[in-house]
Amino acid sequence: MEQATGVLRGSTHDDVVLESIQFNEEIRGIMAPAPAPENASSFTALLELPPTQAVELLHSPDCPAAAREPPCHVSTNQKPYLLCSYGGNLTFPSNAALIERAAKFSVFAGENSPPEDAARLAPVAVSGVVKNEPQETDSNPSSTQGCVSDPAVDTKNQKTAKRKEREKKGKGSSKKSKSVADECSGDGEKLPYVHVRVRRGQATDSHSLAERARREKINARMKLLQELVPGCNKISGTALVLDEIINHVQSLQRQVEFLSMKLAAVNPRIDFSLDSLLATDGSSVMDSNLTSMASPVMWPENLANGNRQHFQQQWQFDAFHQPLWGREEANHNFMTPEHSLLSYDSSANSASLQSNQLKMEL
Amino acid sequence: MRNQRSVKQEFLRKWITGLRRYSCDEKKNMSFLERKKAIKLSADIAMASTRDKTTRWSQALIANASSSGDTLTGSSKNNSSRSRKKMLMMRRRRPKVKSAKKEMSASCIAKRLAEKRTRKLKNLLPGGESIDEGCLVEETLDYIESLRAQIEVMRYLVTASQLIINPYP
Repeated sequence: MEQATGVLRGSTHDDVVLESIQFNEEIRGIMAPAPAPENASSFTALLELPPTQAVELLHSPDCPAAAREPPCHVSTNQKPYLLCSYGGNLTFPSNAALIERAAKFSVFAGENSPPEDAARLAPVAVSGVVKNEPQETDSNPSSTQGCVSDPAVDTKNQKTAKRKEREKKGKGSSKKSKSVADECSGDGEKLPYVHVRVRRGQATDSHSLAERARREKINARMKLLQELVPGCNKISGTALVLDEIINHVQSLQRQVEFLSMKLAAVNPRIDFSLDSLLATDGSSVMDSNLTSMASPVMWPENLANGNRQHFQQQWQFDAFHQPLWGREEANHNFMTPEHSLLSYDSSANSASLQSNQLKMEL
Repeated sequence: MRNQRSVKQEFLRKWITGLRRYSCDEKKNMSFLERKKAIKLSADIAMASTRDKTTRWSQALIANASSSGDTLTGSSKNNSSRSRKKMLMMRRRRPKVKSAKKEMSASCIAKRLAEKRTRKLKNLLPGGESIDEGCLVEETLDYIESLRAQIEVMRYLVTASQLIINPYP
């Protein structure tokens, strides 16, 4: 939150800030509420979209839409805006780096492009970042630092800042550019070359260039992973981050095992209740129904079920959950039991009603 | 971005199909462990097939499952044998890790730590033995996403079947 208000006050590019906030607002209005873990998955969109979108967006001229809405409270949950379909209503600021970032955000408007584009896009995206960030003037380090509070861009900002510091230390601020940034060619799905800007004093032969491009691609993906795995943002250092990732994968695999064991315990036969579950092929099967169903189910079951073994199983289940699972679990385990219990008691508790509810929710 | 909802639905459908095949094949009652294995296996295969073999881990998962003589893999056996051959070849061509001298510089230590961890991660990932570093991160990303979707679907199924079995008084 402080970041956002600092943005509003301290930035020199007010219209840009307003734009980005308004962008958020539009997108949040359009988007259906998505649960927290899904937001992290939106970063895989970074890997899956063709660069044509970025190019189009760079070219589309727009009428200024500034101050149409009052700058609003920017939530910390920035990521949903990445999923929105872009309405084409942004004015692009003159600052090249912000153009790049805005293009990157709105690039996610396209969906379902084949993952083969990932390999092609990633070097382009990374090289694009490498290209455009040095174009920022040195007089605006603070504004670029605080301007966008998205963590992906924050890390890129930090990269820029670090790079700038390194450069200023011994090498001057001039950079030798290897090739002209040619993103505005405006056509084709695949850029022929990976254009990388070379810093002064560094080798320019093809091997080290390729190596560096590869390194940067890997680092970009690592950052995505860091955002996906909860709690990795604050850790710096590859080994520790990898540790966290390994723990996370292990815990996910263990959860799968545990859940399959539980399923096997619950059903005496394998296809026991599947017919009723498959009564409809409803489209709204999973997301909200899952969380809304899970909490009223677990809590009353503890009380209404006199079965000791079941009770213990349930509590073990919950206890197993809490340390392993992320914040969304804690939320719906703790917050909803009380009023869900009340609402549940008030409704008729017949078995038929429940199976009907089940089918409806399916 | 993959549409999470459709992925989960697809996974659920495939999983249930797989489970049905299990129960049709074997009319006898399976023991608890067998059932658990069957459930997990069909879930893994269903999850892997939602990726349509675009990722390496999904191919490896299906290949491993078919190599253990499972009846569920069915039509995917042909593809899996081809992909397994590919993976074996890649394994042979994998560059040897040079045995580094015992340098005590910080970067070397850091590098060695990172190497250890990447190796551990590779072991965790199905089919992750013969992946180079660049693809490793991508595959991990994908795998984590799919695991999360799978866990949510399974949780849903667990609570749903509990509801059905123990209706409230």
